[in-house]
Parts: sequence; structure tokens; C-alpha cells
Amino acid sequence: MNERPARSGLEPLARAEAPAAAPRPKTIRTAVRINIRGRSVRLRGLRLPSTSIWRWLAILGPGLIASSAGNDAGGIATYSSTGAQYGYELIWVMLLITVSLCVVQEMCARLGAVTGRGLLDLIRERFGVGWAVFAVGVILIANGGLIVSEFVGIGAATELLGVSKLFTVPTAAALIFYLVVFGNYWRVEKIFLLMTLVFFAYPIAAFMAHPHWGEVARGAFVPKLHRDSNYIFLLVGLIGTTITPYMQLFQQSSVVERGGDRIHYGSERVDVYSGAIFSNLMSIFIIIATAATLHAIGKNNIDTAADAARALEPVAGHFAGIIFAVGLVGASLLAAAVLPLATSYAVSEAFGFSKGVGLDFRRAPLFFTLFTGLIIFGAAAALIPNVPVIKLLVWIQVLNGVLLPIFLVFILLLINDQRLTKELKNTRLYNVLGWTTFAVITLAVAIMLLMQFLGLWGVKLFGS
Amino acid sequence: MLSTFLKLRVFDDSGRRCHLDDIAVELLERDYPAVTYLVYRNSGRDRMMLTWQAVTGIDWGRARINVNNFDAAQSVMDESSPQEVLLKRDVLDALVLDLNKRLATRANDLLLEEENGKLLLKGADTSSLAILRRLSHRLFGSGPSRSPCDWKYIEFLRGHPHAVRNGAGYHMRIKRLPPGEIAGLCNSLPYLHAAELLTLLPHEVAAETLAAMMPDRQVQLFGELEDKQAVRLLARMKTNDAVNLLRRLTVESTTSFLKRLPKARSDKLVDLLRYPEATVGGIMTNDMVVLALDQTIREARLRLHERLKQTDFTHFLYVVESEASPVLRGTTSLPDLIVAEDERRLDEIMNIYVTTLDPLEPADSGAYRVLNSHLAAMPVIGHEKQLLGIVTVDAAVMQVAPQSWTVQAPKIFS
Repeated sequence: MNERPARSGLEPLARAEAPAAAPRPKTIRTAVRINIRGRSVRLRGLRLPSTSIWRWLAILGPGLIASSAGNDAGGIATYSSTGAQYGYELIWVMLLITVSLCVVQEMCARLGAVTGRGLLDLIRERFGVGWAVFAVGVILIANGGLIVSEFVGIGAATELLGVSKLFTVPTAAALIFYLVVFGNYWRVEKIFLLMTLVFFAYPIAAFMAHPHWGEVARGAFVPKLHRDSNYIFLLVGLIGTTITPYMQLFQQSSVVERGGDRIHYGSERVDVYSGAIFSNLMSIFIIIATAATLHAIGKNNIDTAADAARALEPVAGHFAGIIFAVGLVGASLLAAAVLPLATSYAVSEAFGFSKGVGLDFRRAPLFFTLFTGLIIFGAAAALIPNVPVIKLLVWIQVLNGVLLPIFLVFILLLINDQRLTKELKNTRLYNVLGWTTFAVITLAVAIMLLMQFLGLWGVKLFGS
Repeated sequence: MLSTFLKLRVFDDSGRRCHLDDIAVELLERDYPAVTYLVYRNSGRDRMMLTWQAVTGIDWGRARINVNNFDAAQSVMDESSPQEVLLKRDVLDALVLDLNKRLATRANDLLLEEENGKLLLKGADTSSLAILRRLSHRLFGSGPSRSPCDWKYIEFLRGHPHAVRNGAGYHMRIKRLPPGEIAGLCNSLPYLHAAELLTLLPHEVAAETLAAMMPDRQVQLFGELEDKQAVRLLARMKTNDAVNLLRRLTVESTTSFLKRLPKARSDKLVDLLRYPEATVGGIMTNDMVVLALDQTIREARLRLHERLKQTDFTHFLYVVESEASPVLRGTTSLPDLIVAEDERRLDEIMNIYVTTLDPLEPADSGAYRVLNSHLAAMPVIGHEKQLLGIVTVDAAVMQVAPQSWTVQAPKIFS
């Protein structure tokens, strides 16, 4: 009989055969040879940085996906309105905003890495409770508006599919509350993210609509200013939807959440730049697609979601409405869950209240009250009848644009605080770009407010 | 309350007055630090500090602090003593650790009380009422705070590990908590605060605390420690905790730490780092008690006595051929060794039927074999049957359990 060695434990160790080689793991790491006190040793147990494309995908992936989802209801409404009203003429603004977005978001990422703290937390400690309350007020207004816009987006999208918003908006609010508080939101989040991928149809639609590329290039590189108040209004809306105060809060806290630190700071910068560029590229394609389809046929006003969806007709034909609705529902649900959560976290952080979805109403009453209140407020406001949907969405983005300079000042003061940021404080170039962004946005906001104010008395600025 | 106190005006004997800007306390290890200086701005807007001894009385009714003479004041130096902090600038609104409630919170206001002619910092008001009181200038929320946290149980962190090395004062009650709870508190703090907390703990506690944190957090905090302290912690961590941390560092950092650790410790870590993470060798520890076959029970107990202080896993004792030849011959348990007669030999009481693992076996299958065997640990042997290490039940659980669970799972062995 051909005897096979017995498994260990059946024979005394002294008499047992040497153990047979066990099946090896499928992949064994490359050994690293190091020298320790004159002894050369080969170590296979060290984690080596990946050199493959996966490493880059790991760095860029989250930013790219998040930026694709960042084109939520308000964003799509604003970009579509821009394309429909002014064709390609405002693309140059998007290029400048991209630079500003890169600068602002990178400063927030750096603040997060160098301090390990959120923006409102830093404002509280550096500027005191009064300024913290002011900043919290600003963020509640800005994010409150955005939450309304997300529920408006959900309602508009589902009505495109023939289901009344009176049913879908409260259902979505209840679903979000349940998933975040009792369920596993982070698992469902992936489904919402997948739904937003249909917005990749915009670049395809932009090409298939055969735009006049010469005009597109002219719109991108030859600034053309209009003197009408609507132009300034949309300009502020474009800024407000692209560089929202919420994005700064989110950027900083996501770096903190991912464990970024000042020693290893670097890959976050790549993530921020690529995310900002990619996100704005998508926005530009939305403008081009809308300009080539709606503006080209003289349809300058977008009043409903169905109007906005028509920009996808070159790629989706009769299914444009469905494609648009699916993407809009995904993006809106995603933002409608994350926005109240991020706001509640930031506010609780600023005041030192208990926070976290792992707790309950009893242990974190203010956190949960705020979270619940924001969802109820957003859903209730979205159900107000006879509201011009697209206009409301654009107004909310304008409101964000108006509030943006306040946050920019805080960010610029904090990032230049030597005690806080030490060797990672702003370079001169960054300061120039940062303060210029602040000055231009403030000027645009001031002109817009002045025009609106004078408009009440029928006075027109610039004689237009 | 500090917010009220800062509203007082300071008057000297000759009737000169100024606005109080801040007050300084010396945060040494005492429970309730006393106010040491008043900080104010003089007519030339210079920041001046006046020692508390110059205070002759506080007139709450007229909202004034009476002092001898402003002439005794000195200008505020940039370089103050590291133990000294300014309550408004440094502590008010700052993150503090409430050890009673085991959470990181904010000092929304500070409770000051006069006692024997001294003004003592007695507590921190972390409630939302304190914010309301400050914002409304005491119009609302001015009643007594419901539950100010006793300052004795507050740990105030500066947000910089260097503060510990510079001799800043701490209560140090935090070191009385179990390392798992300290790790939980560290996780709720910004990483520089957490690194400061780790720096102020005794090395043994700090090493256990670091080991109880999430892997990414460990790497983040480890990077903030001074090299000397990092080496000390690595030297005190359980071997496979240390290995798990080293594998996440860069090759250069790992090499540098291995060179600086004591040779015996470094050799043990290198032996474990030879094996890929996904293998049994990658999850085993070589920190166990090894006894030579020819020893008597009495000799073995003496040997055990020396090793017990250093070794992590002592439930099973591993009997090898001799000190020079680590070929595994059997195992015995600690209770068996204790109850055996002194003159008997180890080979008489040891179990020679031992189930073993191969170091290059996949970690998951090795872990399941340990769990299915219901043993506290299983030895890992090489081709020459030499003892390389053991896989403990804890390591096996960590290998197969979901990551979210592993952080909370109690660890008895390596």
C-alpha cells in the first residue's frame, strides 16, 4: 500500500513526516531585500506601493465618481439654462471657474490634511463662537436651499416618469431617513452613484448634436459680456453651483475622514485637481449639448425638467426623458442624503455636540433633530405647488453664489494662519488666485444685487 | 463663568481702569488650577500681564476687579511658560476630553470659583446653554449650568505632540482608562490631538492604545511621533501588532525602525516580516514560551518565571529538542506544568500529538483550522519541523472576522 504521510496530530511529532507543502496563496508579494545591521534579509511581508494603473484609479476614482454625482438637480438646471439662453457664450466662465475651483478645493483639502479638522471646527476655534454661529447660519441657509433643490429634482424627475411628486417626494424623504438612521445607507449609495453614470450621456449628446465647434472654441476663449441682469444672475448661479460652500465643507471633511495628514499630503492634490477638471468638463458638455439642441432652435427658456431632458435627445431619442429622469433621481437622492448628514455633522462639530449615525436621538439629540429637520424642510418645501421648478433651482444656486465669498474669506484666513498650517500655508501664487477669486465673485454678487435692487424701482444699471 | 469674568473691568488704587483681555492659569497636574495672571490692554494697546497677587478683591456687584497698581504689570511675552495657558485664547471654545463621559467635547464656557483668595478653574460648561448665554450677553441661559464638567476629569490638549515634550501640564487621569477606551477617545479627536494624547501616556499604555486603533489611524499617528518615542512603542507592542504596523509604513521607515530597535526584538520582527501577509506566517506570532526537552519540571518553571514577564502568550508552552535546535517535540499547558511533580521531565508530561500549520499556507485556511480546533493556539513549523511561531485564536478571529468587527473584538493574545 502506498502510504501517504498522515496529517499532523495523528502521529507523535518526532516520528511524523515533515509537513507536506500546503497550497500556496495565489499571489505572493515580491520580496524586498533590506540590510539590517550588516545582515541582508528578504522580506515578503511589507506592503509596497502599487505601481500599476490601479494605483492611479484608486487615487482618481472617488473624486471622479463624486464629481459626476456632483452635477445634481441644481447644477443641471443651471448649466442647461446657461446653454439654452446664451449658447456657448459662457463657456469661458466655466474655464475660469475651473481654475478657481481647483484652488479653493485644494486649500480645503490642505486644511483638512494639515489640521485633521473640519472647516466649521476650525472657524469655531480660531474666530470664536460668534463667528462660528454666523458660519453655521450661512451653511444652514446654503445647504438648506440645496436640500430643497434635491427634493425638487426628485419630484421633477419622477413626474417625467409619470409618478406624482406628492407621492415620490415624501417617500424619498422617508427612505433617506430610514437608510441613514436605521439601514445601511453606504451600501445603497453605490446604487445611487451608478444611476448618476447615465449623465455620461451628456458628452455623447454634445458630440452627436453636431455643435459648431468653432463657436464652441470662441465661447471658451473669447469672453463676451452682456449688460442684462439675467446674464449676471446666471453668472452668479454658475459660480454658486460649481463652487458651493457645501463642496468646501465636504472636501475638507472627506480628507479628514480618509485619514489624510500633513506628512503624506500630495495624492489628495491630484484627486482634487482631477475631480474639479472632470466635473467642470461634464458641466461644459451639458452647456454644449443644451446649446446645440435647444438654443440652436430658439428655445431659450427652460421651464420644466422635460425641457432640460431634450438636450439628451441626440443620443437617447424618445428615451431622453427616461434617461434624464434616472440620472436626476440618482444624483438627487445621493445629495439629498449626504447634504443633511454633512450639515448635521459640521454643525455638531462646531458646537461640540455628540454626533454620528451610530448613536440615537437620546445620545445625540441635536444631531438627529437637525438631520431630521433638514430632510422634512427640504421635502416640504419641494411640495409647494405651482413653483417654477427650473427657476427655483437656479435661484438656489444663485443664493449659494451670494454666500460663497463669506466662506472664501474664512478659508483664506485659515490657510494663511502660520500657527495652523506651518510649512503648508499658501504660496504667493495661491494667495493671488484665491483672493482674486474672492474679489471677482464678490464683485459679481455686488453687481447682481445692485441690479436686482435698482430693478425694483425700474432703474437699469449700464443703461441696459 | 469665564464669559462673565471677562466682562469685568480692572481698576487700580489710583482709579485707572482697563478692560480685561484674558486670564492665565498654570495647568500643572493639580486638579483645579489657580489663575496666575490677569491679561489686559493698557492705554497704548499693549498687552500687559499682572500677577494675581496684585488683586485686592472682586466686586461682582459693580463688575470690577480691584488691583494694587498697574505699574507692577509686565508686558506679555510671546514665549510664556509651557504650563501656562490663556483661558480665552487657548481653552475657551477648544476641544477637551471629558473623561467622565468618555467623549471629546467643547469648552463652551469655563467655571471659575474663588477659594481662599485664589480664583480656581473648577469646570467646563459644554452645554448648548453656555453658547446661548455668551451670544445673548447673559440675556438667556444665565441660570446655573445644569452639569458643568468637573475640571478634574477634563483633559485639555493643545493639539500638538510637541506640547508634551515642552512640559505642558496634564491631569493624566486618562492613563487610568483601559487602552481600548483611550483608543476610542483618540479616534474621536483630530489626529494631532490624538498624537499628543499618545505622547503623554506612559509607553506601555501608549503601545497598547496604538495597537487598539484602526490600522490607517495607527500609521497617521505614528508619523507624528518623534522617532525615539516611535521606537519605544514598537519595542513594547505585541510582536504581531508591531509587524502589522511596520508593514504599512514605507520600506525606508521600516528599515530604519528595525535598525534602531534592540537586536533581539528586531530579529523577531524580521522573522515575521519574511512571510507574506496573506499566509499563516503573516498572521503568526513568535512571542511564546519555548522550553527544552531535557528540562525537569522545576527547571522549566524557573525558566518560565523569567519568560512570563516578557511573553504575551503563555497558555501553551512549546517543547523543542534543545535550546540550540528548535525542532518542535510537543506541547504542554501552563496548568499541567504547575501541577506536575518537580522531578519529572518535560517529555513525560507533554502532548506529542500536535496539529501544526505550514507558514506558507493561506492565512484564511490556517485561521479556520485554528478556530475549528477550539485550541487557544496552533504551532507553525517549517520543513525541518522547527518551531517558527504560533497562530493564536485572536489572530485567527481577526483574520476571518469583518473589519468593522475586528476593531472592537477583545484581544487576549497576539
